[in-house]
Amino acid sequence: MRIQTLLLLFCLVLPQLSPAAGPPTNQDFPQGVSSISPGSELWREIRQRDGAILEGTSQVKSVDSGVLINARGEEWARFRVTKLSSYGGIAIAAIFVIVILLYVVRGKILIDGGLSGRMVRRFTDYERIVHWTLAIVFLFLAITGLILLLGKPLLIPLFGKEVFSVFASASKEGHNLFGPLFLVSLVMMFLSFARRNIYEKGDLTWLLKGGGIIGDGHVSGGFFNMGEKTWYWMVILIGFVIAISGLILVSPVFGQGRWIMELSHVVHTIGALILITVSVGHMYLGSIGSEGAMEGMKSGYVDINWADAHHDRWGKVCHDENLIVSAEEYARLQGRKPGDSGELATEQGK
Amino acid sequence: MIEYLIDGPLWYFSLAVFVIGVLWQLVAIVFASRKGDLSVARGNATSSALKNIFSRFIPHREIAPQIGVQVVAGYLFHLGLFALLFFAAPHVLFLEQNLLGFGWTPMPHWAFILSAQAAFLGLIILWLRRMTNSVSRLISTLDDHIVAILTFVVMLTGCLALLEGFTALRLLHRFTVELWLIYFPFSALMHTFTFIPSRAFTGAWFGRRGIDA
Repeated sequence: MRIQTLLLLFCLVLPQLSPAAGPPTNQDFPQGVSSISPGSELWREIRQRDGAILEGTSQVKSVDSGVLINARGEEWARFRVTKLSSYGGIAIAAIFVIVILLYVVRGKILIDGGLSGRMVRRFTDYERIVHWTLAIVFLFLAITGLILLLGKPLLIPLFGKEVFSVFASASKEGHNLFGPLFLVSLVMMFLSFARRNIYEKGDLTWLLKGGGIIGDGHVSGGFFNMGEKTWYWMVILIGFVIAISGLILVSPVFGQGRWIMELSHVVHTIGALILITVSVGHMYLGSIGSEGAMEGMKSGYVDINWADAHHDRWGKVCHDENLIVSAEEYARLQGRKPGDSGELATEQGK
Repeated sequence: MIEYLIDGPLWYFSLAVFVIGVLWQLVAIVFASRKGDLSVARGNATSSALKNIFSRFIPHREIAPQIGVQVVAGYLFHLGLFALLFFAAPHVLFLEQNLLGFGWTPMPHWAFILSAQAAFLGLIILWLRRMTNSVSRLISTLDDHIVAILTFVVMLTGCLALLEGFTALRLLHRFTVELWLIYFPFSALMHTFTFIPSRAFTGAWFGRRGIDA
């Protein structure tokens, strides 16, 4: 015990007894130690400052267990905070501004001749269930995801750290739980709508005219127009990428390393931000932005004038095959009283 | 104060309303006065009652294609919710410590997650089916929507509190459960207890008249 105490004292006092009062130089280490501070070299190696992967050995046998400090993790964390969060927040804010400006400047897209009240079946009950299931799950995931991504800079100043921690915990649990439901809904969506969303002749014209936003008048379209088809394939393809990357993140038990998790997170977030941003436009055009559009996903029927205006090629099929139901018949199908039959028709359309 | 209220008086009050309300409803059904059936029996009422209880688990062949979605969603929701209610680890522990004094083996975490997802998906689809099908929408009452939304909220608050690290989230879940318990006896939620006697009654009624229900 005494010997140990003496040794400790010796180690502590020895540097103080050194005749060189200034910082040590290379000459102070004549035995071949080339560094001023060997510790800094060691930590530089461990932190992988030079980009070299340094993996040691460990008794813990798991992925990345030999890596003491993951420098790339810091890069990812910095990228998340400085780029993903800030640019993501700007993108979300920008789309709302664009939609509001569009509504103020362009106004609601009206149908020439107004609504007639005569309807045509567009979606079955099942198709609407699939659409709304995906929509509900997507909205829940979007809100919880945005709380996790933007909550720190936006919610902490508003509610404080303690309340935010409750929000964040709830959002994380809800997000992880609902994530797989998004994949299920996506598969349902793919199986229900894929065939009708295959691109066909005439779709490009729709794109070149900006779906009718550029210039006056409506552009030609089939059952789904080019914009709807593109949105559909975005949802399917980006949605699958989001779902798979989400599953990688939520189940870190399949041997995926840190860099795969970091990559998945970045891909997951960017994909989600793209879908959220475009979905705002989709929601706008499907509701207040376009006259008569909401009815299709509400009742399954759309006004024939709406079909002729936005999907003229499909509208022609409806005319040719006599698929149009009268306002009275539509009211009966919806369980309304006969007197309510014309509630959808505008004076102009009658 | 809120914690005391939710964990204490409101919990006992909601439990009392639930137990007394359910018993009241069941007793009222059993003792409801009805005219005796004086006709000559053409079939066996008891066997038809038993048959009807089980046969209604599978939809009739004639209407199965039309209601396939709601059958699948119905099973997803009800089985998922049953598993969550009685086999989720926090619920087993709660029942053991607060009500029963004994517990049982809970399901593993992955099964818990799968049950919750099945229940959520089933409930969302069932409610959407109610809203999208014009006949279902017409025969739905305000109570049907309240029941669906309240059950969804109870499940949701439970899942948001999954981490079990925040008192606020636990209290929120417990509060919604208490609202659910209070609403239970006066709503369509009573079908939890009445669906078997209801099926049996219908089966017996038809069976006695020789009708294959």
